[in-house]
Amino acid sequence: MTYCFYICVCLCLVIFQTTIIPHIPLFNNFYDLLIPFISYLGLFRPIRESILFILVLGFLMDNLSGGPLGLYVTTYFWLFIVVKSVIKYVHVNNILLLFIVAAGVLMENIIFIASISMLGPDSQFLAITVRTVIFQILWAGCTGFFFITIFNHIHKKLESWFVVY
Amino acid sequence: MIVGAVALIVVNIIILSVNSSRYSSYESGRSTIFFIAPFQKTVTKSVQFLKNIWGHYFFLVSVARENDNLKKAINRAIDKNNKYREVEISNFRLRNLLNFRKTMTNQVLVAEVIGQDPSPWFKTIIIDKGKSDGVEKGLPVVVPEGIAGQVIDISYNYSKVLLIIDRNSAVDALVQRTRDRGLIKGESDGKCLSRYVLRKHDVKIGDIVVSSGLDGVFPKGLRVGYVTEIVKSNSGIFQEVTVMPYVDFEKLEEVLVVLDSPKHNFVSEQ
Repeated sequence: MTYCFYICVCLCLVIFQTTIIPHIPLFNNFYDLLIPFISYLGLFRPIRESILFILVLGFLMDNLSGGPLGLYVTTYFWLFIVVKSVIKYVHVNNILLLFIVAAGVLMENIIFIASISMLGPDSQFLAITVRTVIFQILWAGCTGFFFITIFNHIHKKLESWFVVY
Repeated sequence: MIVGAVALIVVNIIILSVNSSRYSSYESGRSTIFFIAPFQKTVTKSVQFLKNIWGHYFFLVSVARENDNLKKAINRAIDKNNKYREVEISNFRLRNLLNFRKTMTNQVLVAEVIGQDPSPWFKTIIIDKGKSDGVEKGLPVVVPEGIAGQVIDISYNYSKVLLIIDRNSAVDALVQRTRDRGLIKGESDGKCLSRYVLRKHDVKIGDIVVSSGLDGVFPKGLRVGYVTEIVKSNSGIFQEVTVMPYVDFEKLEEVLVVLDSPKHNFVSEQ
């Protein structure tokens, strides 16, 4: 059931991200919607249950994207590890965790920018990078925590239903 | 008795006939009206009030239902109208594509864009044609406005296309007016940069850049974009030429995959 939930959520998020978001001008600089999901797994789910799923998800995204193979796998894996490490020191209900998605978005962008920078100089790169990253972090800061809360709520509901039936 | 009755009838007829010849008012009539009329007025007003209440409130239940039905009908009509408009626009677009297809001597395949890259840092699209339709890795993808990209990955029914604005993309091109060669590379801001254009070459803003066909991927003569900026640094043997692609990559919906690329020549519409 848990894996079915993961698959359904990720499928919806990936499809939404690749087909609907590009057509909405407001979301031109929207962040990767799978980051809140990875953060949710890192915050609330055990490593053994999530790690394989995260690697598969990263591989799937790598195949959909034009970036170098392994970029998303790397990003998601390290994001998951970082979140897991953070919750060792910070309580899950701590207010700092409101910004965990924004931090994840920043981390993903740093990895991506480092990978793109290897392709050589680009005159407009810095200006566009700064603008894109700032917008993505702002979006993540405003909406990321809601996504995590929704994932957690739905998952708990589903688990309780399956226990009853 | 009978005589009396007949006489009464006659008298009555005479009085009626005399009265009917002229209208006369009497005090008793005025008094009657004076007393009765206010009641009549009140009752009439009350009836009208009740009638109004019925007409404007209770009867409105059916009007509200009718209103709901009309709203539904309007929504259906708007939806239908929107669909017709969408069909009209796609008809125009497909006609354009068909006209462009006729101008090409290459064998082409029309494909629909079904997805875009999940990351804003990379510029790829997913199209609904794959190995089963004859698409192969490396085939060029074009639209009536110009070159769109190149197939970089294929599955049985779908393919991934690297757009020319991606930083990994490179197209061998030449300036149409002067025939000066350069290598078109994607830039982060949706523009392209023509690299390795010699300083001595006379490139001007507004010049059209077309594919040279020398990269073995894109057919010769396809439009890529036009020159928007030229930077000649003090040192170096090359100048940097910024090229704005003709294709609006934000609005790509249908594309053509050139199946038999560089084997045949391209015949320009012009």
